[in-house]
Formats: sequence, C-alpha cells, structure tokens
Amino acid sequence: MLRFVVRRLLLLIPILLGLSILVFVWIRALPGSPAQALLGERATPETIKQINHQYGLDTPVYQQYWKYLEQTVQLKLGTSITTQQTVLTEIRQRFPATAELAVAAALFSVSIGIPLGFFAAKRHMRAFDQISLAISLFGISIPIFFLALILKYIFAVRLGWLPTVGQISVLINIPHPTNFYLLDALLAGNLGAFWDVVKHLILPAVALGSIPLAIITRITRAAVLDVQNEDYVRTARAKGLPPHTVDARHVMRNALLPVSTIVGLQVGLLLSGAILTETVFSYPGIGSWLQQAIQDRNYPVIQGGILFIAIIVVFVNLLVDISYALINPRIRLGNK
Amino acid sequence: MSIAQLEAAEVSLEASQGGLWSEAFRRLRRNPSAIIGFVLVALFILVAIFAPLLAPDDPRAQDLQSIFNGCCPGPSSHHLLGVDDLGRDELSRILYGARLSLLIGIVAVSVGLSIGIVLGSIAGFFGGWVDTILMRFVDIMLAIPGFLMAIGIVALLGPGLFQVMIAIGVVNIPIFTRLLRGSVLAQRENDFVLAARAVGVKRRKILIAHVLPNSISVVIVAGTLALATAIIDAAGLGFLGLGPQDPATPEWGNMLTSTVRYLQTAPFLAIFPGVAIVISVLGFNLIGDGLREALDPKLRGRA
Repeated sequence: MLRFVVRRLLLLIPILLGLSILVFVWIRALPGSPAQALLGERATPETIKQINHQYGLDTPVYQQYWKYLEQTVQLKLGTSITTQQTVLTEIRQRFPATAELAVAAALFSVSIGIPLGFFAAKRHMRAFDQISLAISLFGISIPIFFLALILKYIFAVRLGWLPTVGQISVLINIPHPTNFYLLDALLAGNLGAFWDVVKHLILPAVALGSIPLAIITRITRAAVLDVQNEDYVRTARAKGLPPHTVDARHVMRNALLPVSTIVGLQVGLLLSGAILTETVFSYPGIGSWLQQAIQDRNYPVIQGGILFIAIIVVFVNLLVDISYALINPRIRLGNK
Repeated sequence: MSIAQLEAAEVSLEASQGGLWSEAFRRLRRNPSAIIGFVLVALFILVAIFAPLLAPDDPRAQDLQSIFNGCCPGPSSHHLLGVDDLGRDELSRILYGARLSLLIGIVAVSVGLSIGIVLGSIAGFFGGWVDTILMRFVDIMLAIPGFLMAIGIVALLGPGLFQVMIAIGVVNIPIFTRLLRGSVLAQRENDFVLAARAVGVKRRKILIAHVLPNSISVVIVAGTLALATAIIDAAGLGFLGLGPQDPATPEWGNMLTSTVRYLQTAPFLAIFPGVAIVISVLGFNLIGDGLREALDPKLRGRA
C-alpha cells in the first residue's frame, strides 16, 4: 500500500513538469511579444532590446523556462492586466466561490444520481429504468449554459423563486474572513445570509451538476447490474438475509467502488463547466473571472487560471486513486 | 449427437449469425432508441445540406421593419420562429447553423481521430520507450480539462470558426490515442497476429492489415460520441465569444450569447437554438450508445 502511494506520488513529478512545459510553450507562443505589449507605439529597436533584457527574454530558452519554473513554484503567477492585482490574490478571492459551487453541484449529482442509478438497476428494463436512462441521456446532451439559461428563465425570471444573478444579495452585509460565503455567514451567525447564499447557489449548482448527474446515474446503474449477478450476492440471498441488508452490505458496498472513482473524475468537468455556468449567473468565481479574462485577452489571468485548475485536477485525481486503493481491499491487501 | 452432427450444427450456427457487422446491424434495427438517433442525425444532416433550399430567408438579411417596436416579436406567419434582436429570421439562422455545427463536429473529430490513430497505434504496437513517452504526454494533456484546454488553444490562435475546430480536435487527440493504444495492445497478443508474424509478414503490414481493422468498431463508437461532445463544446466556445467573430454568422452558440440580455422579453431566442443543439447532440449520443451495445462482443448472439 505504501509502495503504491509512493509510486503514485513519484508519477506526479513528470506530469507537473510536463504541465509547466506545456504552459510555458503556450505563453511563448502567444501573439505579440511582451515588449511590444508593454511599449505599444513607443517601441523602437533599442527599447525593445532593453525590455527583453530586463525580463530576461534575451537568455536561452532553457534559462527562461527555469526562471518561469522558479517563479511558478513560488506561486508568482503574474499580474492581471486589467486590475493590476497579482493573479494569486485574485484566485484567493475568487476560488472559494467556485469551490462552494462545485461542492454543491457534486452533492446534487451524487445525492440524486446514486439512488436513481440504484433503483433503475433494481427495476431493470422496466419503466423507471427507462426514465432514468432518458434523464441521463438528456443530461449529457444538453449544453450546461443552455440548461442554465432555461433554469434561470423558469425559476428566476418567470416564477421569481430564486435570484437571477450573483452570489449574495447586495443588501446583505457580512464580514468575509474566509471568502467561503456559506462559512462566513455561519461565522457571523447570520442565518438569513446563509439561506440567501444557498438560494443563490441552487440554480447554478443544478445546471453545473447535470452532466455529473447523468454520468453517475449511468455508472451506478451499470455497477449495480453487474454486482447483482455475482455469486456472493446469490449466496447472501440464499442464506436468508433480508433484501435490504443484501443491498446495503453486499450490492452497494461493491457497486460503489467504480462509482467513487467516477465521482472524483468529475472535478475537471465541474471546474471547466463553471466557466459557462458562472457566466450565465454572473456568479463571482474563477469561471466568470476566466471568462472576463478571455474577453479582455488578459493572458496572465488565463495562464494562471488554467494552470491552477489543471493542478487541482491532478491532485484530486491523485487523492481519488489513493482513496480508491484504501477502500478497495483487493488493492489494499494484495499489493503489500 | 455425433461429432459430425455437432460440427454441422456449429457451422450452421456460425453462418446464420453472420459477421460482426451484419449482426450489429441486425441488433441496431431492433433497438428503438438507436433508430430514433439515426432519424435525428439524418434530419440534422439533411437540414445542413439543404439549408439554402429550406430556409425561407437569407440568415444574414435584416428585416428592420419587424423590430420597429423593440426586441423581439415572436413567431408569426412571416417569420415562423420569430426574429432576433437585429431582425434576422430565426428559422433561417437555425437551419444554416446546422451546417456550421456539422462542419465543426466532423472536422474536429477527424483531426483528433487521425492523429490519435497514428499515435495510439505507434504506442500500442511498438511499446517500449516510445509507448512510455507518448503515454506520459497523453497523461499531461488529459490533466487539463478538455473544455479548458480548448479555451487555451483558441486564446492562443485567436477566436474564429477554424480555430474552434482545431482546438476541439486537439482536445480529442489524447482521448483517441489512449483508446487506440488500448485496443492495439489487446490484439497484439492474439493468435492471428502471431500467425502473421510466423509467416513473415512485416510489422507495418500486420498493424495496418490485421490489427487496425479490428479496432474500427471501438473507433466508430468513440467517434460518434465525440461528435456529440464536439458540437456541445463548440457551442460553449461560441457562447463565450470565441467562435466566429462575424456576428452575422449563424452559429448556434453565438446565437445563444446575445440572447442572455433578452431572456425576459424574448426567451424563444434562447430556446430555439438550444433545442437545435440538444436534438443534434441527442441523435449522435443515441447512435453511439446503440452502436456500443450492438458491437459489444460480450452481448453477441443474445438478442
């Protein structure tokens, strides 16, 4: 087990290095040289040379890469062109909102997807099964921004049940020590504010969770169908265990193994989908931040944002792999 | 039953079953959802081809009279699906939009598929350090969520229709590479490969003539599903303003962007292009799922 973890950690090194090379190449390939961008019309061959020297752009490529790597490891991700704040500061301000949204979307998709998939498998080939298949098919066929627009139109514009935009009502003022608004509202002891933040979260979370919901439903259904025919399930039934005990202790425990991996793999989907969802709901997370950066061609922000999300995805996948090994006795005990 | 009888029964059984493809086709025909998928996709392709004949209007022509009283009058006898904020016929724009979506999907998947096939078969067939390096590279590319990578590539190349196709194609490369490698690896140890090697067939010929044809079912299933994703991602990029830069271009994602402002007064402007996307994507997903089931060797000979 320890060997597995160590090996998995070592595999991280080439991936992170490769990622940094990819982003470095990306930066170098961007249209317009940095000197040109900084100087604009004042660019003369001399001033360009001076700027290139100042930023180390006249050194060999490998030295430039090394410098980039050094800065990235120190979390110096550059400065936003529009706000002049460092990219790291902005990520700190913005990421908590996206984290709350992603967790809410994950909770939504898991809490609905697993029961839906389970009961679909239990009623294999019957009406409920067909309905769940149809739901999951629609889930992967609807673009999330379109679903977000529809939800916004029905529940916010037409029915007025939920707010149309933002993360919290403008009239509510609470201190933000953590920038996690739900946590901040609880820390301030303001339940009204907490409920307000929850209401702002519902529609974006449902829209963002639609694809994971579809995938989790399908995988759970397939896994339960698979496990149901195993010998140990038949044995458990044959020895007279009550059906729900068999379901809980034999079927679900084994079926949830593949499901847990899939849930972990949705993180990338949630974080990249957040760009579209947050744009529709003007939700102030890193998604709408990146969208704005794309409009402004704010390359330092795009670069920092993509690198940040990719690193999170890599680490979450690592955690998923390790926890999968932990909960799966076949790996935990087998690979000593 | 004598052995001869048994063999005869076996032979007749094999003959009636036919090959993988005829059987898959038979099973597809009995799968109602796959048939719905084929109908939807056929509709989509026909609309894309015959858009100029079907569309009542020029998708770029503005009927300014119709938006005289503000945005946006809904469906009427003049404009079956209403007009958009610039007075352009919504139905015509949606019909023409099918062309762009189909084009984006096909080009993007072809780019990903062709490069993925080459890289994947090289990695799977030759193994060793070539395989290790290629697969590490694929891992790195897969670490970046696909849609995000597409955004990065379009940011690099500049927004536009062609750039969107390339970006989505590149995102598909690691996916197809992995798929092909897995499929080739699984077959490399098969007896027919061993037999071909034993009689002295060259490695490249084995790969092209024996191994790749057996991977084709995997590729077709994944390609159909990738088409669905490509259409969704292209619409997403268009929605973010990274698609065709000429606002007159009737691209479905583009059309949805401008509607956000009019959601209150003219929700149909969001609904019609959105439904168009859903229908075409649904079609490809249904076909992909149907094909997967029909070609699954584990299910062979059942229905």
